Amino acid sequence: MNFGPVTGGPGGPTVFDPYTLPSDDNVNPYTFCVELKGSQWLLQKGKMIAYYGRIEFDGVGHGRFDRLLRTSFHSPLHAGDWVVAEGQGKMLLADRAYDVNSYDLDEGNLTIRAGNLLAYQPSLALKQSIVPGFLTLIGTGKFVAASNGPVVFMEPPLRVDPQALVGWADCPSPCHHYDHGYMSGVLGGIRSLTGIGGSSGEEHQFEFVGAGTVLLQSSEALMAERPVGTVGAEPGVPGAGAGHGGHGGQGPLGQLGVRMPGQLGDFQRRLGL
Amino acid sequence: MPFREINSKMVEAQIVPGQTLYSQRGAMLAYRGSVSFTPSITGGQGGVMGMIGRRVANEQTPLMAVEGSGTVMFGHGGHHVQVVNLTGETLYVEADRLLAFDGTLQQGTMFMGSQGGVMGMVRGQVTGQGLFTTTLKGHGSVAVMAHGGVIELPITPNRPVHVDPQAYVAHHGDVRNKLSTALGWRDMVGRGSGEAFQLELSGQGAVYVQASEEKL
Repeated sequence: MNFGPVTGGPGGPTVFDPYTLPSDDNVNPYTFCVELKGSQWLLQKGKMIAYYGRIEFDGVGHGRFDRLLRTSFHSPLHAGDWVVAEGQGKMLLADRAYDVNSYDLDEGNLTIRAGNLLAYQPSLALKQSIVPGFLTLIGTGKFVAASNGPVVFMEPPLRVDPQALVGWADCPSPCHHYDHGYMSGVLGGIRSLTGIGGSSGEEHQFEFVGAGTVLLQSSEALMAERPVGTVGAEPGVPGAGAGHGGHGGQGPLGQLGVRMPGQLGDFQRRLGL
Repeated sequence: MPFREINSKMVEAQIVPGQTLYSQRGAMLAYRGSVSFTPSITGGQGGVMGMIGRRVANEQTPLMAVEGSGTVMFGHGGHHVQVVNLTGETLYVEADRLLAFDGTLQQGTMFMGSQGGVMGMVRGQVTGQGLFTTTLKGHGSVAVMAHGGVIELPITPNRPVHVDPQAYVAHHGDVRNKLSTALGWRDMVGRGSGEAFQLELSGQGAVYVQASEEKL
């Protein structure tokens, strides 16, 4: 009977040392290795699991990083969640056994769910997206992101379940799509009047059209949302003034307390419909 | 309408006009084309009687009918997905493990006691299946969810397969199964191996086993 680990093959598990660890590449699907040669990386707190060498981790609030922050960190509300790694060595990044991958941007832009971004090179600039709960990276460089299951790249036109969306690149038009076709017709009328039959759970999607790439994670289990703070209550700023931590289970309609046609609310829920 | 596995946690289905696909509500990840998702009041086939049967058997699961023309991606809860292609045989699976299945498949419920009497009912309790399980019969594809990866173990005559009841996902074919117990005095004093109950499947077919003892 063989009790040894399977992944390592006949020679047993692969043992890494500072020289055999890959440089800026995946060690396995769940771990990413970043090599620092006197350079800096920005990473979310708590995503570093091990490191070799001399690496210092400082909060971004540190005065030494004033210049760095001026060029590559434009999200003061996230300042508490990010640290700067600086020094010589290799560090391993992972996030709760989610799949981890690195992506290269070349004079590009990519918007990603705030909780999915692990780390990025300071040659990229991090900004808050005008879509609440998302962050936008602009420029040239590498970043590391986690997803529940491997990321699937799709081309628009496409409609995506809000929970399955990891991010998008170059798409100019992310918008909401509401689908209530099944509420029409005789049966739909009954459903709409009585609430019997409930909703399909698929009446709200994010719609993408135009040129670009949409990143999907292959499950609807969301990573824990990081509190992304609130944007200043200014006229014309989406999501201003309201906390928007909860992107899970409920759609924006649920958050707003709007009742869709055909929903009987608590009564319907009690009947399990 | 076969499902195409995009990766271990995601399948893609082509929807063509005139054919219906049933899927668990909320399991759509993305779609292209004009596809409608209609909640199925009766939770599948068989009309109102089918619905009552499933409610009584506690095998009802919120389903939706997927129609139209286009491409739909399915996945749910980060669970691994296994596609089972049926060619006339019957698949026995718990309703809440169903991610999506062809509308051409016949959906039914089966009383566990009808396979092995009282021991069948005990088996249902041990595997977490309860007293009833869902059957799908005909020609078509089923996408089944499981916690952890899934392996398919073929069952051939004279080569019965023993499965941990908690790791059991589904089986198809002409398979008899019974619960075998290996209870000894060690189990009584709390020094058992933890493998006192095993599911023994014999006959002709295949059983799907998940790499986890966690229920869905």
